[in-house]
Amino acid sequence: MRRRDFLKISVAGAAGTSLLAAPRYLRAQGPIKIGMPAALSGSYAQYGIQAKRAADLFSKDIKAKGILGRPVEFIFEDTAGDPAAAVRKAQKLVEKDGVKFLTGVALSSEALAVSAKCPEWKVLFMSTINGAGALTAKSFHRYFFRVNTSGPMGARAISLYLAESPMKRFFALGSDYAWGRDSAASFTQQITAAKKDIVGSDYPPVGTKDFASYIAKIRQSRAEGVYLALPGQDATIYMKQAHQFGLNREVKPIMEILELENMKAVGDAMVGAIGSSRYPFTVDTPKNKEFVKRFHELHGMYPDMFDGETYEGLEWLAQVIAKAGTDDVEKVIEAWEDSTYEGLEGPFLMRKCDHQAVQPGFAVECVKDPKYPHPIPKILATYPGDKVTPKCRTEEFS
Amino acid sequence: MANVLEQLLNALALAGLLFLVSAGLSLVFGILRVVNFAHGVFYMLGAYLGFTTVALSGWFWPALLVVPPVVGAIGALLESSTLRFIYRRPPIYQLLLTFGLALILEESIRVLYGPTAKGVDPPPLLQGAIDLGGVLYPRYRLFLVVLGCTVGVAVWLFLRKTRAGLVIRAVAQNSEMADCLGADVVRVRTLVFGAACALAGLGGVAAAPMTTAYLGMGIGVIVDAFVVVVIGGLGSIGGSMAGEEE
Repeated sequence: MRRRDFLKISVAGAAGTSLLAAPRYLRAQGPIKIGMPAALSGSYAQYGIQAKRAADLFSKDIKAKGILGRPVEFIFEDTAGDPAAAVRKAQKLVEKDGVKFLTGVALSSEALAVSAKCPEWKVLFMSTINGAGALTAKSFHRYFFRVNTSGPMGARAISLYLAESPMKRFFALGSDYAWGRDSAASFTQQITAAKKDIVGSDYPPVGTKDFASYIAKIRQSRAEGVYLALPGQDATIYMKQAHQFGLNREVKPIMEILELENMKAVGDAMVGAIGSSRYPFTVDTPKNKEFVKRFHELHGMYPDMFDGETYEGLEWLAQVIAKAGTDDVEKVIEAWEDSTYEGLEGPFLMRKCDHQAVQPGFAVECVKDPKYPHPIPKILATYPGDKVTPKCRTEEFS
Repeated sequence: MANVLEQLLNALALAGLLFLVSAGLSLVFGILRVVNFAHGVFYMLGAYLGFTTVALSGWFWPALLVVPPVVGAIGALLESSTLRFIYRRPPIYQLLLTFGLALILEESIRVLYGPTAKGVDPPPLLQGAIDLGGVLYPRYRLFLVVLGCTVGVAVWLFLRKTRAGLVIRAVAQNSEMADCLGADVVRVRTLVFGAACALAGLGGVAAAPMTTAYLGMGIGVIVDAFVVVVIGGLGSIGGSMAGEEE
């Protein structure tokens, strides 16, 4: 064979291969897949289930038009709240199912583990639940986006509120893992800056069932308020026990996240607790009222914090993919940076420098309202995004 | 001083709950020679059924009376339909079976009740705290101390002073000899397993107002209960009473 013939044949062969590849490419044009390695079982299942509920409603809402005319497909995997399982399941979603977007991860510990792998996988990680400040600070990389209010931002909102209150002495009780410690540290820093005192702090292990010794310690500290960064069930159990000890009357419970789920489980013993909320469903905006109505129709309940935040994340992601005109991860990242979005609770801005969404912060109080079957969050104060978002890639506020 | 009193009461209240679980675990090991991994799940089942009863009736006290027999009946049914057939097999089969039962029951509860914790309010009489010479202490925890002691004494009296107790002790000591002497060993085993589950169920109902009913509460308690049982001496009720004070 002459050299020229050989070249001709290889060119033809290459063209043939690309022709063969073409239908495959078109097939890849099928649905836009979003992977959710969420905690759907175990102690923290309520968070994964909130993400799933939001995804269910979003699928229903987007079904008619899709994104870029393509249908949206959610693939769920249960991590049971275990970081190692979360990485394994996320890897399966990326390598086997070919998802380009990961979201719905429940715990910060899981998020830190999964996020660390995303630059290698070249997939976009959208946090809608994870609070640990480090995700957009020390551990930040360009494949990570946080749509939700972070732990330090929540601590900031409630600190701003407390700065105005007559209370002077506080105790910080944070769960002994990334989010609990981050939030307690952030609260301590801000409350000290407001010339108030932290009279004690402690870190119960995740999954503590008996808070009696912590309750004794809080009482002895003679604090006027206790700052609580406890996840899900831990918070429920703490609130029940503190109520039985009569502590809630002496020491005001201040929660980093004042969740509907806790209010339902604890009931009236929770009334009077204050805290920050990532998304209180009682926000009075037309868009939110419409959302709450649709959500209630589909699920027969009122949306909790991460129902709202995850829905916002998904809607925003869809908007960004539409803007980029493609689901190519690099293009989507560029389109998302510095973009704005009208969220349920107000305007959102995705900061380019650390991919933290700037958004309003809320101080809320748990109150009873005869219109609802359980206590609800009443908004005490709303702070604009620039007041509650930390300086770029830090957990500090100016 | 006040602090010491408070911690002492905390320990006693927890010990009361733990006793209800570990007494049953110890009984089952003593009579059936089975290390029952599913025991914690009966505790959890008690808590969830307690929640349902309180939600339906609006009262706490009926739950305390109704739930333990129901849990006991479920336990007896499971013993006679599964465990009974493998007593003569090596212990590894029993571990496998009871662990499997634990998983099945736990997942059934998850399917039925959903993953979130269920709160139960203590009865009005036991709500709030009481002043014990400078220490504000929850009434409900004091009730747990009393409940644990009462059930402990009752079980001890039953095993020492009644004829049924005598038969149970005989089976525990040497089941073949007891069989020869006319004791219906198969029935004793089923009833003891049921009674042990009922005790765990009672523990669960009593725990619910303090810790809420949540998934995984069975696994949490079983580890503590094993510690109690081992320290107290396997198969010894008196031992598990002393053991849980550690």
